[in-house]
Amino acid sequence: MRFEAIGTQWQIDTPEPLAESLRAAILGRIADFDRTYSRFRDDSLVARIATTPGRHEFPADAPPLFELYRRLYVSTGGRMSPLVGSSLEALGYDRGYSLRSRGAAAAPSWDDAVAWDGAALTTVRPVSVDVGAAGKGYLVDIVGRMLVAAGISTFTIDASGDILNAGPPIRVGLEHPLDQTKAIGVANVTGAICASAANRRAWGDGLHHVIDATTGLPTSAVIATWAIATSALTADALATALFFAEPAELERSFDFTWVRMRSTGRVEFSPLLEGEIFT
Amino acid sequence: MRSQHTASLAVLAGLTLVGALSGCSTEATPPAPAPETDGGSSAGTGTYADGTYTESADYQSPNGSETVEVTLTLEDNIITAVEVVGDGDNPDSRRYQGEFADGIGDVVVGKNIDEISVSKVAGSSLTSGGFNDAVEAIKADAS
Repeated sequence: MRFEAIGTQWQIDTPEPLAESLRAAILGRIADFDRTYSRFRDDSLVARIATTPGRHEFPADAPPLFELYRRLYVSTGGRMSPLVGSSLEALGYDRGYSLRSRGAAAAPSWDDAVAWDGAALTTVRPVSVDVGAAGKGYLVDIVGRMLVAAGISTFTIDASGDILNAGPPIRVGLEHPLDQTKAIGVANVTGAICASAANRRAWGDGLHHVIDATTGLPTSAVIATWAIATSALTADALATALFFAEPAELERSFDFTWVRMRSTGRVEFSPLLEGEIFT
Repeated sequence: MRSQHTASLAVLAGLTLVGALSGCSTEATPPAPAPETDGGSSAGTGTYADGTYTESADYQSPNGSETVEVTLTLEDNIITAVEVVGDGDNPDSRRYQGEFADGIGDVVVGKNIDEISVSKVAGSSLTSGGFNDAVEAIKADAS
């Protein structure tokens, strides 16, 4: 099953084709998620929070996402933040994709700008929320649970850089961020692997979408990351966190393996990585 | 990066460097013997021949006996590459050895994707129409 959703390409592989009702349910669930979390439409909950202060109730899927964001906000010293939307917009990655930079703007601090009470986000002024660092992984997990609930226990969901695999392990090539025809290694994956890199969502002059919320600037030292964990939410979030925190620090709190490539072309990776890096 | 090099030298202080010289030396004559060091003393100030040195060390951790293998490549007395492989069974030891091993990376060599038989490729997410059109538009504006 192949489709476009939340701004990228998806492919779901299963032993048998999915029933039409399940396909429709999956697309519907993704549309619901988009209607809550998308920064790119004017009718989403995120769009309302960006214009109207107040107490904004999120759907029941929100707590795990915000709780993980809070842990990583702390672990990265605020560099990874769900409030990075205004920084992205300042550099041009706004709802209309103007791609015109007005200059870097640091994101507001979490405790200054919002209060998350487990069900709702309360704001006193407009705030731009962007959950792109972990939201797609979370949605991949949600779709995975729908497949399992439908009795499908072998599947691969590939939401373009965020992959959830159930069943026999698969070999996943780690795409070279500077040459899409090449891989820098291979990982054997059961569970999730999520990749993040600065190469595709880039619009010139060092501008790309992986932003340090404390400065409003795109990262430069680390150019690609991969995280492998049991859930795609965790893998996606950690793939982003690897731009901002040392792997050993993240390993204190999370169970995962990882690969990280620097702008020098050097690659670091977890000693426990199941796979191989080509050096 | 520099702190990792310092850490490598600290580990070497506990290893004898007299021993296996693996890999190629750039010297035509036999390499000058490396100074012996005892545990706890600082690394010697002698000149080391270019080449790759590998040593294993057993050490006692609170979790029992562990092994770590350090491979150094020296060029002009400068460490140009370090590899540390831990052998600890204990998860804590593996983690600490991982902490030591992180941060000193090898330069990667890409392989063609169609030559490595993988079923998926993980990279940054593909962009879609709206973004692609916008990138084309700003390129057109700039030209």
